Amino acid sequence: MAMKNFAHRSLAVGGTLAAAAGALALAVGAAGASGTPAHAARTITLNDTGHLHRTSSKGFNLYESGSANGSLAGTITLHLDVVSTNRVTAELKVSPRGGSMSGNASGSYRNNGATASFSGTLTINHGTGSYSHAHGSGLKFSGTIQRTNDSVTVQVSGHLSV
Amino acid sequence: MGERGDSMPNIKTLIVAVALLVCWCVPAAASATEEKATLHASFSPDRLGASTTIEFGFDVSTVEGLAPPPLSSINLHMPAGMNYTQTTLGLAICQPAALQEKGLAGCPANSRLGYGSAFVEVPFGTGAGHELPEVQALMGPPSKDSNIVVLFYANGTTPVYAQLVFRGELLPATGVFGSQLTTLVPPIPSVPNGPDVSILSVKATIGPNHLTYYKYRHGRRIPFHPIGIAVPERCPHGGFPFSAEFGFQDGSTTSTSTTVPCPPKRHR
Repeated sequence: MAMKNFAHRSLAVGGTLAAAAGALALAVGAAGASGTPAHAARTITLNDTGHLHRTSSKGFNLYESGSANGSLAGTITLHLDVVSTNRVTAELKVSPRGGSMSGNASGSYRNNGATASFSGTLTINHGTGSYSHAHGSGLKFSGTIQRTNDSVTVQVSGHLSV
Repeated sequence: MGERGDSMPNIKTLIVAVALLVCWCVPAAASATEEKATLHASFSPDRLGASTTIEFGFDVSTVEGLAPPPLSSINLHMPAGMNYTQTTLGLAICQPAALQEKGLAGCPANSRLGYGSAFVEVPFGTGAGHELPEVQALMGPPSKDSNIVVLFYANGTTPVYAQLVFRGELLPATGVFGSQLTTLVPPIPSVPNGPDVSILSVKATIGPNHLTYYKYRHGRRIPFHPIGIAVPERCPHGGFPFSAEFGFQDGSTTSTSTTVPCPPKRHR
């Protein structure tokens, strides 16, 4: 059963998990045998694009939600805080099947006219469920805001340990 | 030894002469370049957190009442908390080259940020100046540091026979100020081989008042008013601070400040 669940999830996160499948299966089996939780860290390559719409805004903050496609398909929420005329910070949460992971990002902010763009790095530092051990830093984080309606397209890429 | 003894009085004389010259020149130079400035600012409407049009203006003169030297830079500090996040001002970009070549016709309507007017004078003049009735503010391409760029365009007649384009860059600021619009003013020629033109005063707006943007829906061109920069949601004690620093071609500077009073509290 554990193998079946893992196999299903591995389809979602892409082919990079194939090599780790055996190791994780052994780890899950060992945990079940001893009765203590065990975790075998694996690395996934994240390459996701999210399409979000504004759910609310307050002050310099935009709150967005939508769906992500790519390595970890699922729902995505984003809180953007434009901290200065050319800097932005963000909180990002991706909820693929089986759990969620979240983190913080910071980067530059650029008003291009009809759109604004942001670009920086993301640190994943929290997870739940299957991604409770998720962590990673230096992930690429970029996106575009349609200034007429504040819809956002966000891209995240890099290596993540889960 | 004799040579040294002979040269000493000459050196002392030279030092005294230089000192006298410095004493004579410095006050003269200072008095010739003693500029003063006043700054005006307001919000329309003036409501906390509301989309607004920022109205600002300045006057520059000398203590003697003469035309000031030509400006070389203007640095306008605006209060912290001004919200640029949700404004729809500047939905299009105006390219400086197109603006210079074709005037306003070279730039999209959705790149307009505001408008105003200016008074200018040649430095030797003592009159009330000549009005440049049309000063436009437009959204330029962002700087290499990703800062917002504001282009100021003036279509000059007498005594300025030129299309002027000034470039201002919106930079982050700290403390009571949240941003600063730093504008370098290029030399403004008057007549051939004549002195550059001095700016005496400017009135300008940045905001949606009197601006019309356009969007296309189902092939139809629909006018709308853009959303302005928002007034801060909290008013600091004493009002919203603005300040401006002016640099002049002769190297002198002056600064001034003002505040926009806190809006009256709204009763529900």
